[in-house]
Amino acid sequence: MKTLHIAFRNIFRNSRRSLMTILAISVSAVAVHLFGGYVANIIYGMQSDYVRDNGHLQIYRKGFFDYGAGNPAVYGISRYQEIMQLINADPDLKNIVLMMTPILRFYGIAGNFKKDVSKTFYGLGYIPSEYKKMRQWNDYSMKRSRARLERIVLADSDTEAGIIGEGMARMLLLCEELNVKNCAEKPPEANGADLPAEAKEDFSFLSESDDLNPEQEAADKRPKLDLLAATAGGAPNVVSLYVNNTEIQGVKALDDNYVAMHISLAQRLLYGKGQKKVTGIVVQLRHTKDMALAKVRLQQLFDKNKLDLEIRDFTLIVPMYKQVISFLSALFSFIAVIMGLIVLFTIINTMTMSVMERVDEIGTIRALGLRRGGILRQFIAEGLVLGVLGATFGVLASVVLAYGINNSGLTWIPPNYVDRVPLTILIFINPFLVPGCWLGLVLLSVFSSVFPARKAGKMVIVDALRHV
Amino acid sequence: MRNNSEFAVRLTDVKKTYLMGKVEVEAIKGISLQIPTKRFNVIIGPSGSGKTTLLNLLGCIDIPSAGRVEVCGQDIACLTDEQASDFRAENIGFIFQNFNLIPVLSAYENVEYPLLLMKKPVKERKELTLKMLDAVGLTSHKHHRPNELSGGQRQRVAIARALVKGPKLVLADEPTANLDSKTGQSIIDLMYAMQAENHTTFIFSSHDRQVMAHAEKVFEIQDGLLMQDKEL
Ligand SMILES: Nc1ncnc2c1ncn2[C@@H]1O[C@H](COP(=O)(O)OP(=O)(O)OP(=O)(O)O)[C@@H](O)[C@H]1O
Ligand SMILES: [Mg+2]
Repeated sequence: MKTLHIAFRNIFRNSRRSLMTILAISVSAVAVHLFGGYVANIIYGMQSDYVRDNGHLQIYRKGFFDYGAGNPAVYGISRYQEIMQLINADPDLKNIVLMMTPILRFYGIAGNFKKDVSKTFYGLGYIPSEYKKMRQWNDYSMKRSRARLERIVLADSDTEAGIIGEGMARMLLLCEELNVKNCAEKPPEANGADLPAEAKEDFSFLSESDDLNPEQEAADKRPKLDLLAATAGGAPNVVSLYVNNTEIQGVKALDDNYVAMHISLAQRLLYGKGQKKVTGIVVQLRHTKDMALAKVRLQQLFDKNKLDLEIRDFTLIVPMYKQVISFLSALFSFIAVIMGLIVLFTIINTMTMSVMERVDEIGTIRALGLRRGGILRQFIAEGLVLGVLGATFGVLASVVLAYGINNSGLTWIPPNYVDRVPLTILIFINPFLVPGCWLGLVLLSVFSSVFPARKAGKMVIVDALRHV
Repeated sequence: MRNNSEFAVRLTDVKKTYLMGKVEVEAIKGISLQIPTKRFNVIIGPSGSGKTTLLNLLGCIDIPSAGRVEVCGQDIACLTDEQASDFRAENIGFIFQNFNLIPVLSAYENVEYPLLLMKKPVKERKELTLKMLDAVGLTSHKHHRPNELSGGQRQRVAIARALVKGPKLVLADEPTANLDSKTGQSIIDLMYAMQAENHTTFIFSSHDRQVMAHAEKVFEIQDGLLMQDKEL
């Protein structure tokens, strides 16, 4: 107890030097906190977005993830309602699952025959209201732009409508009709004039459905696309899709191919009048931390019921997520190591100076009967006090700075994003960042003061006393 | 071993050499002496004669190069560093030429410090400390830091610090060298008085023959050798 007391007083003896040391520790803490908070903002922001779009887990028929996207008809799940009921009935899963919704992923060709253009597309069929709800997931209470939420303007009742990527709209020459901004006008010579005649043919005659009401069709002012895909039987099938609006996708390759639509339209296209299937069930959990548990429970459930299903989590569906995490973690470690080295050298320097200034004092208290260990403890206690003060001031300064930045109205566009989002430094979102950094700095301070303290402990008493 | 109780210190053929670079300096060239307990002993000798070296040996903060040093019956060469530390904490009080108070501690805390090293309980510490501060006449200055005290006052605190734990042996290496003669004299008087009151063995070194006035026993050393050993 007295040791700490004396350590405190010794620190304020050369207050300027101690202040500089404390400042160096604080600055390191601030750097680590702010960068860590920024990284956390990116990682948790990405996670939130991926979870909003893809849920935490997706359930497929076994093999779909690797082979099935090319043949959704074969890899479809027909009893998906039953499976969702089964999951809902499980007491463990019920508590951790926030929502489930079926989706259909497939590829096809979309044509805008008014303009004589067509191209392949990547189709996503979902239940609009449920997808919209899924996008509201915000377990980390992050600030975000409202834009993404508001883009889904499909209604559950409007089973023939869809949303396409801006790139898709551009290539299908729908920019004007859909009010797409920054849409470069297509060079006239490439206007499909030299395409073979058959490519220009309207393929709506392939349509299996006959429930379209021609009058209603004529009344609808929305741009219309014809979507062509292969049915389960292998025959081509066509449906019409009214484009409600565009939604830009972060990745150009996706944006150029994206066609989202009401799930029943996708089902009509892929399965005709036959059995309605889906390719996946999206499971969104309340909290990401339950993902491993949910995976295990789901697998047990599937095994027990002899269901030939596989589970993929969003980190597999969006490999970018893990890549970004490892990239940022490497950067973070680099910064943390540099800051740690600065703290190490600063403390060693300060403590060594402190030891050298107090040689006669060390000799005196050793003569009075303090053991070597006592000297060691005395100087390590000083390192500890410096570390605690520095790390604590660092936390306070970081909180103030982070608050300032978060309320400064700064925005930025994270990688793979399309909208500006508020720039936020989330130093507390990762529960280990602040305590870990604090403890790390304190331990480092103690560790750094061990060397000078040992030097003090090893001093020869008579030499120390002669030193004036 | 029967003599242990009679002699606070016994030196037998003690030599101490220092290495200065590659040259050996013989600071003590073979001293045998016995210092009786509960008396005021003075070691006198000119500068460089080896007084400090001798007192360091007696204070168990140094070991002889040859010969045997017994302090309170204990051969100091046999102690490990930790044992020697504990031995000093228990038995030896130091008074230094430069006062050597701990600058961050108040007068009170400096006096209390040896009791902390002995792990005395709080109440006893407080009692002994206040009593000692009163004995050296510094009760009113107990909250002052060393840099707020005069040289004489600092040495009074140092005397209180040396005596507070009731040591068997108090070593004072030229305690008045940094004081003016009037203050020096008052410090010497205080030490005599304290010695008489506490019946402690005092060993006091000086190069000034004036301080011998009250000494009960004087050892004179010169060039690392004992000249005479006279009882007064
Ligand atoms: N650590 C050391 N290294 C080398 N020589 C030393 C060391 N300590 C003392 N000496 C030498 O030993 C001799 C005795 O020194 P010591 O300090 O004991 O004398 P002293 O009587 O205390 O002198 P003073 O009255 O000046 O304090 C001196 O010649 C000194 O130079
Ligand atoms: Mg000397």
